[in-house]
Amino acid sequence: MIKINNLHKRFGKISVLDGIDIDINAGDRIALIGQNGAGKTTLIRVILGQYLCEGEVTVLGKSPRRDRVEILNKIGFVPQLPPPIQMTVEELISFSANVSANTKRDDIYQKASDLGLDAVENNKKQFQKLSGGMKQKLLIALALAKNPEILIMDEPAANLDPQGRQAFFLQLIHSLEGTTMLLSSHRIDEVINLINRIVEMDYGKIVQDDRIDLSVFADKLLECNIVFVKPNQTAAKILHDWNFDMINGGMEFQGRFIGAERLKFLTTISRFANQIQKLNIH
Amino acid sequence: MNNLLIVTGFDFKESIRAKWFLLYIIVFGGAVILLFTLGITESKVMGFTGLSRLLITYIQLCVAVLPILILISTVRSVVGDREANVLEYFLSMPISLGSYFWGKILSKFMLVFLPIFGALAAAVIWGFLKNLSIPWSIAGFYSLLLGTLAWCFLGMGMLISTLVKKQEWGLGLSILIWLALLLFIDVILIGLMMQHKIIEAVIISVALLNPIMVFRTGAVLLFDPELTSIGPSAYVILDHLGYSGFLAYSILYPLGLGWLFAFFGFFRFKRGDLI
Repeated sequence: MIKINNLHKRFGKISVLDGIDIDINAGDRIALIGQNGAGKTTLIRVILGQYLCEGEVTVLGKSPRRDRVEILNKIGFVPQLPPPIQMTVEELISFSANVSANTKRDDIYQKASDLGLDAVENNKKQFQKLSGGMKQKLLIALALAKNPEILIMDEPAANLDPQGRQAFFLQLIHSLEGTTMLLSSHRIDEVINLINRIVEMDYGKIVQDDRIDLSVFADKLLECNIVFVKPNQTAAKILHDWNFDMINGGMEFQGRFIGAERLKFLTTISRFANQIQKLNIH
Repeated sequence: MNNLLIVTGFDFKESIRAKWFLLYIIVFGGAVILLFTLGITESKVMGFTGLSRLLITYIQLCVAVLPILILISTVRSVVGDREANVLEYFLSMPISLGSYFWGKILSKFMLVFLPIFGALAAAVIWGFLKNLSIPWSIAGFYSLLLGTLAWCFLGMGMLISTLVKKQEWGLGLSILIWLALLLFIDVILIGLMMQHKIIEAVIISVALLNPIMVFRTGAVLLFDPELTSIGPSAYVILDHLGYSGFLAYSILYPLGLGWLFAFFGFFRFKRGDLI
């Protein structure tokens, strides 16, 4: 799907990508991780044909710059920061559906609805005036509705609340089984259950490229029960955000989340480890 | 072609919501209303009266304000989109670079030209209702001159927008260019150059290369075929090119210059990093 050989990119005297070699095959779900400045976004922009570079880059067997329109019809992209677009939700949806060969307006509304965003109700609102989470959901819906062969997302879940994130992960797991994915993220726990390959970048180089088994629990709903040694308001608030029910006067909580969120959930509650008496996930 | 029109429509809708467009409408629409309110058609200045007097005043306004307003609004197009991450998102969609760039220019041209043309049309309609004599051919040629001037500065603005890395640099450069061009109109530097007996060919070349000067001379020529009301270099130019020759030049030169700037801007945009 994507072949990159000896890729170099410089901005002035600064080398941002330094001899990248990577083959991304159909069905690969890659977490592209690394610190700020590692070169993740630059690599994504090269794949999208937005940067010129030295070396060989082909996407679906074609040049991402020369054949950009043909290639971009098959790529869904979600940026890290929602662009400050003045047009309304309805206009943005129409615009995206009109310029993309494979996108239908109804599919965008449906995907948005699946992610928990009622786009019809927000049709007349300016995109810029939506909340961060709503913007992200709409951008994800626009990308997913293309039924892309390659899905590229830069920190896709950063602005989503726990419910939005769960819906988003379920969407990815169910509707894009044949899609090749490239997820850029600072945190591996965000995406670990969605991926089958981890590529780590540092100072413009690939320093780790490992394949991992896709979690069998990723799309399963897990029941969880937590008992604290004493009531904790901060923990209660966090668990409330995860849609957990409080029982037993704030000592005990019960709720559900999908397997893809397991590591994220455990990381979130790990700070209360000393106050947890019992934790059951099944 | 379809995507070009989609981008044009998108950019048009985005721009009419922007504050600069409101300012632009207020300046040109408000100016015409002000000219009517002040009863400028009744006064006689520079030998003109009636609707011609109003149009002459409108020309002076356009000479001074139109280029800088167009530059300020256009110069942020590409570099502004780039800085705001709009470009990254839109160029991840299957839109050709040509559709993006020319769609933007087309939309900006409509945004810039329609209000000034609308104001001009309003003046003509108002004159018609007031039973003033309507200088139809003048109004037609003047619209053409306004269109070509707008196109020239749009091309220039888009070129600057593709060359600079920050909006501030683009705005600074635009103001610098505008000031330089204003300085080199007939009544200021060229008059000074004539006083200092600089070679006539140099003075004429400077005047003929300056699109603001060409527009101003061409526009006044419509009302005053002898150019008695403007400065000295205009006579010399008129002597060399004649009435029709200069009128043709004042339409074709800014038009060609605008295309040249726009093509160079597109070439620069296409050949570099997009964001």
